[in-house]
Amino acid sequence: MAKILIVDDDQDFVSAVTLVLESAGYSVEIAHTRQEGLVAFGTKKPDLVLLDVMMQDPDDGFVLAQDMKKQDPKIPIVMLTSVGKVTGMSFDKDSEMVPVDDFEQKPIMPNRLLAKVKEHLSK
Amino acid sequence: MQIIDRQKVSNEIESLKEKHGKDRSALIPILQALQETYGYLPYIVLQETAHALGIHPSEVEGVASFYSFFRTKEKQGKYVIRLCQTISCNLAKKANVARQLENELGIKFGQTTKDAMFTLEYTNCLGMCDQGPALMVNDRLFSKVTPEKASAIIADCRRDFLKSKFPKVVPSDVKKSGPILNHGLKAAESLKTALAMSRSAIISTIRESNLKGRGGAGFPTAIKWQLAGAAIDEKKYVVCNADEGEPGSFKDRYLLYEHIEIMLDGMTIAAYAIGAQKGFIYLRGEYQYMKKYLEEVIENRRKNNMLGANILGKDKFNFDIEIRMGAGAYVCGEETALIESLEGYRGEPRNRPPFPVDTGFQKHPTIVNNVETFIDAAIIVSKGPKWFLEHGTAKSSGTKIFSISGDCERPGIYELPFGITIAQLLKEVGGENAKAVQIGGASGKCIAKKDFNRAIAFEDISSGGSIIVFGPETDMLAVAKNFMEFFVDESCGQCTPCREGNVKLLDGIEKLEKGRCSVTYLNELLKLGETVQLASKCGLGQSSPTAFLSIMENFKSEILGRVPEKD
Repeated sequence: MAKILIVDDDQDFVSAVTLVLESAGYSVEIAHTRQEGLVAFGTKKPDLVLLDVMMQDPDDGFVLAQDMKKQDPKIPIVMLTSVGKVTGMSFDKDSEMVPVDDFEQKPIMPNRLLAKVKEHLSK
Repeated sequence: MQIIDRQKVSNEIESLKEKHGKDRSALIPILQALQETYGYLPYIVLQETAHALGIHPSEVEGVASFYSFFRTKEKQGKYVIRLCQTISCNLAKKANVARQLENELGIKFGQTTKDAMFTLEYTNCLGMCDQGPALMVNDRLFSKVTPEKASAIIADCRRDFLKSKFPKVVPSDVKKSGPILNHGLKAAESLKTALAMSRSAIISTIRESNLKGRGGAGFPTAIKWQLAGAAIDEKKYVVCNADEGEPGSFKDRYLLYEHIEIMLDGMTIAAYAIGAQKGFIYLRGEYQYMKKYLEEVIENRRKNNMLGANILGKDKFNFDIEIRMGAGAYVCGEETALIESLEGYRGEPRNRPPFPVDTGFQKHPTIVNNVETFIDAAIIVSKGPKWFLEHGTAKSSGTKIFSISGDCERPGIYELPFGITIAQLLKEVGGENAKAVQIGGASGKCIAKKDFNRAIAFEDISSGGSIIVFGPETDMLAVAKNFMEFFVDESCGQCTPCREGNVKLLDGIEKLEKGRCSVTYLNELLKLGETVQLASKCGLGQSSPTAFLSIMENFKSEILGRVPEKD
């Protein structure tokens, strides 16, 4: 079954998403910072990444997405964030500054999350 | 009494709208132009301006009464003499100059002569701290003024400067330069390098250099650029904060004179990186005399395709820069207050979030950076992040440009690496016998001798570059009073802790001056100072009692139990 890397500094969110993904049969790897995320991306070779935006620094997710795509542009990244709600900012995927395959707002319903994961793994 | 023709005013405003824009953001430039024409802003002018811009007259009056350079009550004299009242000029015997000006004109500060020739005013820092006392006559700047020279300046005004012998004030002396000031880059050299890179690669370069904002707060520049770059909007803005209002700071004035091309490169690179089309230089009102020169440089860059459409042949990269003048409000150095001012409002800081990187000028993504930050960024793009990391400390990379004034042998501009201790810095400037040093201007900390081994860096004592040295004879209570008067004067008045708290602290200082303050009351004042730090809305309000608190902590025995000369 596919391996999903979750990069998020919110422990509760990570636990909940892990539960949902593992129940659906996926294996899950976890990282809580940009630095950990980049290391895990290189060593664990995930099939898909679920990525937060605001971690230690408010732009960590954008930077990590750029770094990951430089390493392997084929691995899909789904950005999961509440950055828009927290800051009032409007972001979306953009090939250069936010090079992700999908951009989803938190909170996200489990069914929608699983559908998104399935959609990007089957591409 | 001046008779003002309403129709004439209205026509003038219409032509000013053509020049400055038709929306509210044109309000301050329009008022500045009208004040120049009429000498002040009478009610009829405010009313017509409100009508022309479609806003309520009370809004216009609110703006006009907020900024110290606008006058609504009384016509100013033909010559408005503004004497700097900041501590550096005090240390250079400003009081004697003030007395002589009053003697020559027969008026007190705040008054206008009966023949309407002269208005005498105090102003906060003119940015000439290493060449004080300083004063301005309208837009003309005078430094190292003595009582004798003050009298000669007034005589010259009476002759309309026809026989003026005063030389033009030159930028401050650079006493020590380093890798930034010796960059050796030609105009547009770093811009060309940047345009050959991708937008994200530019921001990565800035991130790797660990460049932090040089205005004093030390926010990582790359984060601002990244967030603004990632935000989705058709309009984005780049703003250069040249509202150098911190007492004791004059390095931006020097940088704008001598390193303007590399600064404009930095702004243009930032615009390319975040996708902005328009930039503003928010220049403090006291630097009006620089505007013409800066506009000439900008115009020259337009001619050479360094600004305008498809810059240096880069398809679809269009960017231009406009200079907006401040109108005498220290608080506009705070980035959200600056944006309010650009939009034509009172310079009152906003609540955050949302942040300017997304909801900035007219609700569009906006980055606001200091003059020095743009210069550093442009040089980093050319020379690479590793070069920058060779200087400074692990957490504060690079060098810092300092404005050094006060009781030292060699005041001026210094470029020194972050991490330098205060003792090392004092040796450099010839101020070894200092009793205290004010780091970071009025909003900074006053450091006593016991802490001279501490370092100037974001991880220890942070500074926007203003350093004022106090010699062994300095009365530290007078220093605290000067800074507190500054904040009482400059508080925007929006939130209670800063507006009321600082008035109470100043009142306490006056009690201390008279030797009428108990330790219990002083402790209450210290608690009040901490409350102002905690409860004020903006960074400037939060830092307003810092100088007072650090002076009280370090010099309590000097300050308590005073016996005034005349009780």
